[in-house]
Amino acid sequence: MLITGIKSKPVYAPLQPDLRGRYHLMVGHGVGGEPLLRVLGDLQTAAPSSGAHTQILYVTDAAAADSITGQIRAAKVANVRLFERGDELLAAFQAVLAGSLMGTRLYVAGPESFMGLVMRIALQFNLNKDEIRAEECGTLARRVYCIHCCSATENVRTNITQCGCGRWLVVRDHYSRRLAAYMGVMVDAEAPGELPPVKEVFL
Amino acid sequence: MNHADTIVVRVVAIEQVTPQIKHFTLAPAAGGNFPAFSGGSHIIVVMRGVNRIHRNPYSLMSSPGQLETYEVSVRRMEQSRGGSHFMHDQVQVGNELEIAHPVNLFPLDKIARKHLLIAGGIGITPFMAQLADLRTAGVPYELHYATRSPEHCAFGGLLSEREPGRVQKYYDCTGELIDFEGLLSNQPLGTHVYVCGPAPMIEKVVATARERGWPDSHIHWEQFSAPPVGDAFDVYLARSSLKVHVVPDQSLLESIEAAGVEVPYLCRGGVCGFCRTKVVEVDGTLVHNDHFLSDEEKASGKTIMPCVSRARCSKLVLDL
Repeated sequence: MLITGIKSKPVYAPLQPDLRGRYHLMVGHGVGGEPLLRVLGDLQTAAPSSGAHTQILYVTDAAAADSITGQIRAAKVANVRLFERGDELLAAFQAVLAGSLMGTRLYVAGPESFMGLVMRIALQFNLNKDEIRAEECGTLARRVYCIHCCSATENVRTNITQCGCGRWLVVRDHYSRRLAAYMGVMVDAEAPGELPPVKEVFL
Repeated sequence: MNHADTIVVRVVAIEQVTPQIKHFTLAPAAGGNFPAFSGGSHIIVVMRGVNRIHRNPYSLMSSPGQLETYEVSVRRMEQSRGGSHFMHDQVQVGNELEIAHPVNLFPLDKIARKHLLIAGGIGITPFMAQLADLRTAGVPYELHYATRSPEHCAFGGLLSEREPGRVQKYYDCTGELIDFEGLLSNQPLGTHVYVCGPAPMIEKVVATARERGWPDSHIHWEQFSAPPVGDAFDVYLARSSLKVHVVPDQSLLESIEAAGVEVPYLCRGGVCGFCRTKVVEVDGTLVHNDHFLSDEEKASGKTIMPCVSRARCSKLVLDL
């Protein structure tokens, strides 16, 4: 079974400002606030008037220092919105995209599973790779989709995990942008109860 | 691509649609249906003239849902190298021609949220088939179509009838211009722009879209260049051990083909990159006329697109 070395595994890179964009939308979660502040600073240095066309949506998180939240709140941009929960941000993000124009660039930073959910919405609006910058930071815990019962389990840190349906799944690198999750496949289907060693691998 | 890949077609109707444009309806000579295609595809029409063979790309205009016939429109070019004059002056209803299978180098984006189509003159042709696809796709779209005058507005009436409220026409004679800045500044996220028309129009649309922040993945254009006339020169085909003379009004590709050497091609218009050929040696400068190679690749002098590009030299050696 092919577990690693799969091309669909998302690739991330440090955020860089895209000066060809006219509107800049920055979306972050917790520790993702730091790269967002960095790219915002780079953008405003290169294009001092860009603040009028920049929006920030950010989920505050105990993992991030209070000073980050404070700096985001004080950012000199057209609009800053802070959320306590990821799903609140995602609903607001969807509404912002529905009213956005061509020329918008999206910057995303945070834990991988959060970014996957953001990217899934961006995909519905046909944002392509050349319109999105994404920097992974924080936990590598995965959102895992059980290919048998079609439910997704959040925050999976181990190579083998038990789904709500009771099946033990091996977590593959096969990633679905549409489902915003890694595929989990029953690991002991042929030899029930025989599990490989369970290790914490997505930290 | 070689002759075995062509389809013999019979011309079943010819219509003069504007003073410069003739519209041809083709049917398979052997009966049956043509191969399926998608909107934006073109075919190469092979015309066997008295002294030479012309192979010109023309966009398919018929509906992809109807394969009993293919339709193409041909504008009579003032500076024709013979192809468009052949189609206009020689081809009659009942004649047979050959065509190559359709190839799509100008497809619609399948997950776009809106399609913005911009046509200038004969550049309307690929959009005719795309519109047939769009009418049933359930995604918003609009066409902006500029021509010299109502008389030159090919298929203007048909478009108004088929696409009520979705086509805007502009006539040079009354000074109506497409407001590219306005159009490209106010499109919803997920819009794709497609432009086909004269080179200045394509350049303007691409430059304006980029300036308005559009990423390249949302900008699509198609322009088939006719091979420009140039100086005569000699080309040496290293692997075939042949020397071929290229006359001013014949392209490098045509000259090589006339010498019996096959070069793979799809568009013959400097767009697809298929005929890209390695340059072994040149004692002058390459004259790149294609839209495919990057500026760096052109400057490097290591490859050439023989369908439209030439050389100003006494000796060009190609890896053929």
